[in-house]
Amino acid sequence: MAMPGVHPRTAYLFIAPFFVVFAVFTLWPMLFNLWLAFRDYFPQTGNSMWNGFAHFVELADSERFGHALKNSLIFLLLVLPLQIGALGLALLVHVRLPGIGFFRALYYLPVVIAVSIAAVVWQQVLRFDGLFNWFLESVHLIGFGEQPDWLGDRQLALYAVMAFSFWKNVGYYMVLYLAGLQTVSREPLEAAQIDGANAWQRLRHVVLPALQPVILLCTLLATIQALKAFQEVIVLTDGQADTQTALVYVFGVAFYGHNFGLAAAAGLIVTLVCLALAALQLRYFGEDGLLRRGGSV
Amino acid sequence: MNQALVETRVLPVPKAPPRWYRLKRQARDAMLALPRYAALLLFGAFTVFPFWWAAAVGLSSDGSLIWTFPAAFLPNEPSWMWFDRVFYEMPFWRYFANSLLISTATMLLVLLLTIPCAYALSRMAFPGRNVLFVLLLVTLMVPAEVAIVPNFITCARLGLLDSYAGVVLPNVAGAFGVFMMRQAFQDVPAEILDVARVDGASEFGVMWRVAVPMARPMIATLAVFTFVAAWNDYLWPAVVLKERLMMPLAVGIFNDLTGPFAVSTNLVMAAIVLSVIPVVAAFALTQRLFLSGGGLVRR
Repeated sequence: MAMPGVHPRTAYLFIAPFFVVFAVFTLWPMLFNLWLAFRDYFPQTGNSMWNGFAHFVELADSERFGHALKNSLIFLLLVLPLQIGALGLALLVHVRLPGIGFFRALYYLPVVIAVSIAAVVWQQVLRFDGLFNWFLESVHLIGFGEQPDWLGDRQLALYAVMAFSFWKNVGYYMVLYLAGLQTVSREPLEAAQIDGANAWQRLRHVVLPALQPVILLCTLLATIQALKAFQEVIVLTDGQADTQTALVYVFGVAFYGHNFGLAAAAGLIVTLVCLALAALQLRYFGEDGLLRRGGSV
Repeated sequence: MNQALVETRVLPVPKAPPRWYRLKRQARDAMLALPRYAALLLFGAFTVFPFWWAAAVGLSSDGSLIWTFPAAFLPNEPSWMWFDRVFYEMPFWRYFANSLLISTATMLLVLLLTIPCAYALSRMAFPGRNVLFVLLLVTLMVPAEVAIVPNFITCARLGLLDSYAGVVLPNVAGAFGVFMMRQAFQDVPAEILDVARVDGASEFGVMWRVAVPMARPMIATLAVFTFVAAWNDYLWPAVVLKERLMMPLAVGIFNDLTGPFAVSTNLVMAAIVLSVIPVVAAFALTQRLFLSGGGLVRR
């Protein structure tokens, strides 16, 4: 790409302001985490000491971290309903009808509302004597006196947080799928219809293969989002009732336990899991992945 | 050319169908769409019920019915009293001003840093470009929350704790915006840029006078995305700020509502509604930009 008259020096001037800040607040934390994970750090003095793999050994033995990691993996189960829900919604609003723009905007609304503010409302909805249980009672799904405490019950709380996360984020992926659907050209769809393909076959063999890049993008984003599930937990249950996820653990160890080294080691593990899952998804949903081949899903 | 084979008959311009016919067709289409509307409304109810309920509760001066299922969705003895109480009980406008300041500063800095960087990455060749590119890509795959602990230490060292700069700076140089803007700049035809260069414009002039105006829709999208993300950010401001009067809405309201004012659900919901109104208004005005998918999906 020859660019006459543009000296590299000019280019460096253009990118310098961004990359200075990027280096300090994005790159440095990654490197610092990597370094910190192998050291004991004393926040009062800023001194630190090499301790080998002691943090990782401690994490391997820690029941709390194991639990937190397990919860994060359970949170990953959200990716599938989130994608199906978002794609379903996108298909639902991918029509020309009066008022459809209103519904698209409506479904996106939870995305633009602060997670902390939305959580305050949902806490009230999901309370033991909250709106949701009253609703269940009024349609006779549960009897009086057997209302579950959605955010306090160790069996239920994590799933309640996941439901909140679904409500909060499904609109975001809907918009991405909608943009993808608008790129699917009509001709192959009409050809398939003439050839007698039913709605499901058209979806499976025309729409989904065409959507492959969007599906890849959305599952990648949703997986990272699920693995780093954190704010939702903090604002809804504060990690009580067995809802501690891996990053809640990191946060707790750092800011309440003041063990920055241990926190960095746990953060490093989460980062590595993220990268591994990203590689896996690029393999399965990438250009030559599952969706582009003819087999069944 | 053989004139005889060319038919020169003027086709009659089709008349627009009469109004009654159009209305009838629209009515028929609407009938066929009824099941779809039912599904749309059903999911719409799921999306909106928490805020509908919050508004109804905030408007009810009598709070005795707010937990009963259908009745709770209409205000009981409606009045503005809880909204008045919000302004009296918490520094709402102070939080609001903080949110405005933090979000505006974040947005302006993001544009200022991201635009030249994305322009150089997409429109200039220089050694090291691919390395920088891979670096940006990797940070997209890694959860940003892991950076909170190191950034807290950095901010403590730089004396940025409990300052607006500490809230804003870590959020102004993200890879996401660079990828968005790079895409927009790549769609600008190279010839147009070269013409400007030949005419003697400096590289900054080419970017500012030619590329930026052509990328305006994407710049607007990035600006709005950044503004809303900064407005809604809860965790990082909560970590950096200890001084209550410096907190943005998302932090201040949350702290107040889960702390001292948690006693009255009506008051809590009134505060929620007040804090959501500016976001909903801003979203209503700019929803086109959000619903376009933010340039993540190529058209």
